[in-house]
Amino acid sequence: MTKTFQPGDPIWCAGCGHYGVRNALQAAFQQLDVESHQTMVLAGIGCAGTLQNNVNAYGFHAMHGRVLPAATGVKLANPSLDVIAVGGDGDGYAIGCGHLVHSFKRNTGVVYILMNNGIYGLTKGQNSPTAETAEQAFDGVQLGLSIAGSSFIARGSSAAPTQLQKLMVAAIEHSRAGRGFAFLEVLSPCVTYNDTYPKWAGRMVDVDTITGYDPYSRTGAFTTVHDLNAENRFATGLIYQQDSIGSERQWLDSGQAAVCDLDIDPALQMSDFREIMDDYGV
Amino acid sequence: MRANQLTDLNVMVAGQGGDGSLTVTSILGELLARRGYHLYMSRNVASRIKGGHAAAMMRGSLEQRGCQGDNIDILLAFDQEAVDMAASRMAANGVIIFDTSDGDLNREGLADSIDIIEVPFGRFAVRDLRRNLFKNSLSFGVLSSILSIDEDEAINCLRHSFQRLPEDAIVANINAFDSGRKFFSELPQQPDLRMLANVEREKHLLITGNEAVAFGFLAAGGRFFAGYPITPATEVLEWVQKYGSRFNVQVTQAEDELAAVNMALGAAMTGVRAMTATSGPGFALMQETISHAGSAEIPLVVVNCQRAGPSTGMPTKTEQSDINMMVFGANGDFPRIVLAPGGPHDCFDLAVQATNLAQQLQCPVILALDQMIGQDSTTVEPFNLEAVVLQHGKRVDAATLQEMTEYRRYEITDDGVSPWAVPGTPGGESLVTGNERNEWGLVSSNPENRRNMVDKRQRKLDSNLHLLPRGNSQGDADAEIGLLGIGMQLGVIEEVWQRLSAQGVRIKFLQPRTLWPVLDETIEFTNSCKRVYVIEHNQAAQLAHLLLGEGANKAGIKSILKYDGQPFGAGELCAKIQQEEAGQ
Ligand SMILES: Cc1ncc(C[n+]2csc(CCOP(=O)(O)OP(=O)(O)O)c2C)c(N)n1
Ligand code: SF4
Repeated sequence: MTKTFQPGDPIWCAGCGHYGVRNALQAAFQQLDVESHQTMVLAGIGCAGTLQNNVNAYGFHAMHGRVLPAATGVKLANPSLDVIAVGGDGDGYAIGCGHLVHSFKRNTGVVYILMNNGIYGLTKGQNSPTAETAEQAFDGVQLGLSIAGSSFIARGSSAAPTQLQKLMVAAIEHSRAGRGFAFLEVLSPCVTYNDTYPKWAGRMVDVDTITGYDPYSRTGAFTTVHDLNAENRFATGLIYQQDSIGSERQWLDSGQAAVCDLDIDPALQMSDFREIMDDYGV
Repeated sequence: MRANQLTDLNVMVAGQGGDGSLTVTSILGELLARRGYHLYMSRNVASRIKGGHAAAMMRGSLEQRGCQGDNIDILLAFDQEAVDMAASRMAANGVIIFDTSDGDLNREGLADSIDIIEVPFGRFAVRDLRRNLFKNSLSFGVLSSILSIDEDEAINCLRHSFQRLPEDAIVANINAFDSGRKFFSELPQQPDLRMLANVEREKHLLITGNEAVAFGFLAAGGRFFAGYPITPATEVLEWVQKYGSRFNVQVTQAEDELAAVNMALGAAMTGVRAMTATSGPGFALMQETISHAGSAEIPLVVVNCQRAGPSTGMPTKTEQSDINMMVFGANGDFPRIVLAPGGPHDCFDLAVQATNLAQQLQCPVILALDQMIGQDSTTVEPFNLEAVVLQHGKRVDAATLQEMTEYRRYEITDDGVSPWAVPGTPGGESLVTGNERNEWGLVSSNPENRRNMVDKRQRKLDSNLHLLPRGNSQGDADAEIGLLGIGMQLGVIEEVWQRLSAQGVRIKFLQPRTLWPVLDETIEFTNSCKRVYVIEHNQAAQLAHLLLGEGANKAGIKSILKYDGQPFGAGELCAKIQQEEAGQ
């Protein structure tokens, strides 16, 4: 075997919720027999955005807030890869929020794991959009539900590893099945600047425990999430899904090949090039 | 060729109401092209959505030209504003065809020698025909008469131009054309007829720089494009949308430039040749990611079709004021290449080279266009498709990887370029990052590693200068006077050089095609001149400062600057240089 990089140990503070995220991701990879060379983990900037250094896969560190378009480019170019984007709530809900909206809408088969700790960890404790201040905190799940194209919305917690692993598996499977963008928000506390373990304990409600809950019903999901929020609680679990067709799968279904597999030798397409030139001939 | 035949004909069509009514230049262009003329066509539109004053300009010349001519030989004016705008540029023996629908022509400022034909277009209005089309066809009737073109030849061109219309619409247009012919033949005072030449020339392409740049990218294996619409770069996106599907190109209209450039970056990481295109404001938004591509060593091609800035500036007007941003923009030190094509043919060639260079050097390559290069269409020789050869740089596949004992994504090598395995390749798992890192891609701020990594990246350029496109130069090497300009200046400079040379002035010119890094040949050129006129479209003399910073002799540099949104004409530039020279 060729020797290549060995994933390093995380640099997070002891007790950081992000450990739980990495562990669940590794467990999900194992459960699904994911091949490391067929997997790409892209990360934004922040404490959350160092996870790619600690898993065995192709890794990429994007600019702050730009992990989703980069991951979208990867997936569109090479749909056979498992493309996992990760980042913090500052990365995804503040500076990169525009891309999140459009990722829901575009529905390209990227798995997006957003680690929500209500704070900017790496820059040492400033409020993030989800900080529970006097203003209404931002809710990415409701945002996703409000966008018609969204096809997979889930929330887990690093305090609930079994559920988290299950959700990661479901998210990767959603993407692999060609159904599109899988969004998984993880409540992942920052023990150093905003220890929400005690604050969040007891407030999470797994939708699987709600009788008659139907994750295929957008309005049902919205009502549940909204009503729980109003009671100061959060819905977790697989909140919403739709059997849509992801944009990269639509591309393949239309008879186009994955662009990474094309033979681009110009000699092969000389006659097509000539036809274009003819369009301009005078 | 007979003596009274026109060798260089400049036509301007102008009026209110957007540029839809100005397609008569295309019909005439078709005719001139069939007669063997070269064409240079541009539009001068207001920077607004619809309407406003618009002008289309067309130069037909037996010699290939890269800019508009000095004088207007024929003006087709749909209102007084058009005449006022063109008056100072009217040729003494020119013709004005004036639409009197909204009132008589005010001849103030017009030489008596100019022929004036007043046509009451309104009176000829043909029902069932869109006013724009009718105006075009009627005008073409008048124009073709003045140019002594026989009816069959003219109708042939008209039919060709309207070939996509239904037959009844074509017939209606021919009727409008006939009214124009009839009107002309019944004029009480016939102006002198002008004669066109009829020569053979090889088939050419009539194409814009934006189209050619997209074509070059495609020919060089480009298969991923993400963009966000912005004047004057949008045609690059539109072109790949139009022609890309045949080649299986992935084209995405992104939510903004940040997304566009990052999508291209993501695709590029998979080994697919990827590009984005934008103009100043969008290019400003892309800075962070260009620096990222430089640091993370990802091949990325970015087209910046410059427009008049700063800020939103004048979106439809040309300028070259992003030179600093393209060469020095974005944070940190990193290697980048900036190429500046001098016309559509060069756009094709340099897009091919940019796409290859990005792969070879694993760095961002910027194609510096300007509105004039990007949007004016001109006849150029067919592209040399056979000459397109793909360069793959140091890509390694699974088989090669197997034979390597170690694979370090950021291996420090003699030429600075590291081996590169793309995701999906077994054994090539690696970390790609904009953080400073060690050879394995693991984050490191060790001072020695840092120095080595910065130097390694810079070495990619320093040891591969021979790969960079050389400039385009002509003239006597010993000449003491030099002209230097990039992009849109080329066509003008060539013509100025010809004219001054013909007057016996010893002069040479250089169009650097690699803007960054500044090549030795560029500095050698400037320093071999006693005076070198650096001609650029910006106020801050950005190009001259770039050259000074790279070793050009300050004493010899004379900046000629223009920043009113209008390109130089050859006559205007000649006069400026002669004036300067007279003062020496
Ligand atoms: C363009 C840009 N602006 C600001 C920063 C500084 N910065 C780094 S991480 C970060 C916020 C990180 O917070 P979050 O995304 O919530 O992740 P966490 O550290 O909490 O895991 C900021 C503002 C940056 N790297 N780039
Ligand atoms: S600062 Fe907070 S988010 Fe960052 S590693 Fe420490 S605990 Fe985790």
